[in-house]
Amino acid sequence: MSTEAAAPIVVASAAGNMRPPSRRSIAGREIGRAAIAVIIAMIATVIIIFFVSKSPTDAFMTLLTAPFSKTRTIGLWVDDVAKLTVTGLAFSLVFQARQFALGVQGQLYVGALAAAYVALSPIGQTWLGLPLGVLCAMIAGGIYGFLPGIAKARLGANEIVSTLMLNYIAVELCNFLVRVQLVPPGSGLLTTDRFPKPSLYPVLVPNTRIDLGLIFAILAVLIVWFALYRTSWGLKLRLVGHNARFAEYAGIKSNFIMVSAMTAAGALGGLLGSMFVQGQAFGQLTVLFEGGFAFEGVLIAIVARNRPLAVPVVALFYAYLRQGAQLMNIRTDVPAEVISVVAAIIILLVASQFGLPAWLKRYAVGNRAGATR
Amino acid sequence: MNELLVTIFSAAFLATVIRTSTPLLLATLGGLIADLSGALNVALDGIMLIGCLAAVIVSHYTPWYVGVLAGLGAGAIVGAIMAFFHLRMKADIIIVGFAIGALATGGTVFALSIATGGDKGTSINLPSGAIPAVDLSFLNAIPGIGPVLTGIFSGHSFLSWVAALLVFAIWYFLYRTPWGLWLRAVGEYPNAPEAAGIPINKVRAWSLVVSAALAGLGGAQLAMFNFIGFTANMTAGRGFIALGAVLLGARHPVGVLFAAVLFGAFDGLTTVLPGLFSWIPPELIRMIPFVVTILALVLFSIRAQRALALRGSR
Repeated sequence: MSTEAAAPIVVASAAGNMRPPSRRSIAGREIGRAAIAVIIAMIATVIIIFFVSKSPTDAFMTLLTAPFSKTRTIGLWVDDVAKLTVTGLAFSLVFQARQFALGVQGQLYVGALAAAYVALSPIGQTWLGLPLGVLCAMIAGGIYGFLPGIAKARLGANEIVSTLMLNYIAVELCNFLVRVQLVPPGSGLLTTDRFPKPSLYPVLVPNTRIDLGLIFAILAVLIVWFALYRTSWGLKLRLVGHNARFAEYAGIKSNFIMVSAMTAAGALGGLLGSMFVQGQAFGQLTVLFEGGFAFEGVLIAIVARNRPLAVPVVALFYAYLRQGAQLMNIRTDVPAEVISVVAAIIILLVASQFGLPAWLKRYAVGNRAGATR
Repeated sequence: MNELLVTIFSAAFLATVIRTSTPLLLATLGGLIADLSGALNVALDGIMLIGCLAAVIVSHYTPWYVGVLAGLGAGAIVGAIMAFFHLRMKADIIIVGFAIGALATGGTVFALSIATGGDKGTSINLPSGAIPAVDLSFLNAIPGIGPVLTGIFSGHSFLSWVAALLVFAIWYFLYRTPWGLWLRAVGEYPNAPEAAGIPINKVRAWSLVVSAALAGLGGAQLAMFNFIGFTANMTAGRGFIALGAVLLGARHPVGVLFAAVLFGAFDGLTTVLPGLFSWIPPELIRMIPFVVTILALVLFSIRAQRALALRGSR
């Protein structure tokens, strides 16, 4: 079944890669396409806001400027960038191997649960709480990524369905364990106590949410980039993603690559769980704390074309829009969910292989020719 | 345990299963059409959600059947958008599906908020219409088995009957009409029908439109019969379970019917169990459909692999 579904994709990507492979021109075209997508999406946003809002200019200005207005909001933005980067990386990793695994949400919850168990145990009171919490979260997430991977490799179980089901299971598992075990008896809330201080990420910039998570995100970008582009594992992974049959003929154990990619992405998802609950944003485990955040990584990965180094750049822009939308939601009459409409438009346009309108193309091509001379 | 068996084999539980299976079956049939045409429609869940919202909003102002048609139509429009981006703009169908999913989860909340003037998450201030149950109590007149027949056949949603009919209609279409053959050929090996002069992109586009329209119809059933009204993310993964049901049903209309009823039965169980066994944590009960889907997927994959191995060794 998956082979039939994958067939048109392979054909499409092969057709797309038939052009001469000059690296800079490809990068230029990708960036140009992303820019056009963002511009179209922003125009669509303006139109929507114009129809929805009683004071459209206020709303739009809030969307565009509010995140940069205060230290606190800048902190929210940077914190969002760190988290979006990690989820974007997790999706990029599996997408590069052409596995449409959507398990980051579930990995995030099991990672958060593991971190919470460590932080709320006696170990959490010691200096070990922080590293052990992160480690356990990554292991838990890795296992949660490994399971659908091995099911796909051994049995051919469709990874889209299995990872999504595992997401729902993890959410309910978190609800259950928080209610039954982790919440102090008699509180009636669905939130644990605040984690002890040694288990929390240290703050990098005082009075903001910017914490150790940012360092983790930067490290994750570098490690994923190195693994994908400077190791034989990464080369094999990209080969498998590009043309699984060719990779198989070349003697690459594509099953091993697939499972390891999904496990590594799972560890990133687990790390993200730890970044949420051990970070300054929460510092505790609350049910449903994630609210669909993990799936934003799909957009990040698609717009970044699964390139690890492009992921933080896209995250920077998208986090800004997200925060702007939140503040617009609070301060004006436009709901924050407008951002999902924008996101959908961006994904659709970035994934499309549209040509520029003829007049624009002539202009752009003429410019480029002038620049090279 | 006895109580559970009594409940499961009661007419009331049968009605529950039919009720919970119907939206699932409609979405699964949609997934089947797309799948057979060679496109994995991962947007089923999002389309259902959009269908839910369209049905709720439209049925507030119009008779119920217009609301149902609105769910269907909203789905068809989304399907046309998907077809445009997939076929004309050459976007990967799975990524298009992701985009529609993102659009649906946030966009429905956004649209509801606009339609109701600020309500987020529920349509409590926008009472919607309901799909009537088909009353067949005249079957009582049949001597002897009359009451039993009434118990089994009466009181189901109008759309449950439509869905049952659609199983047959889609089977007939796929296996007894030339267009069905075209569709399957396009999904199986597109080069052959293309060489035979069949407009394969047209076939693909219509498959996506019909697939999405069926999912939208499933959404209408969900929001106008199973629940009355819209809540954010009310599909709760049904569209993705439907994807699993397509695989479990061996990509055949009748197999898909059984798969949808199986998943529907476990979905129904989640509504019955809390009343019977209050000691089972509700979170674990809510996990049941997802665990069952994974188990079914794994078992089916094992079976499929064995079949493949047999074919290979021959």
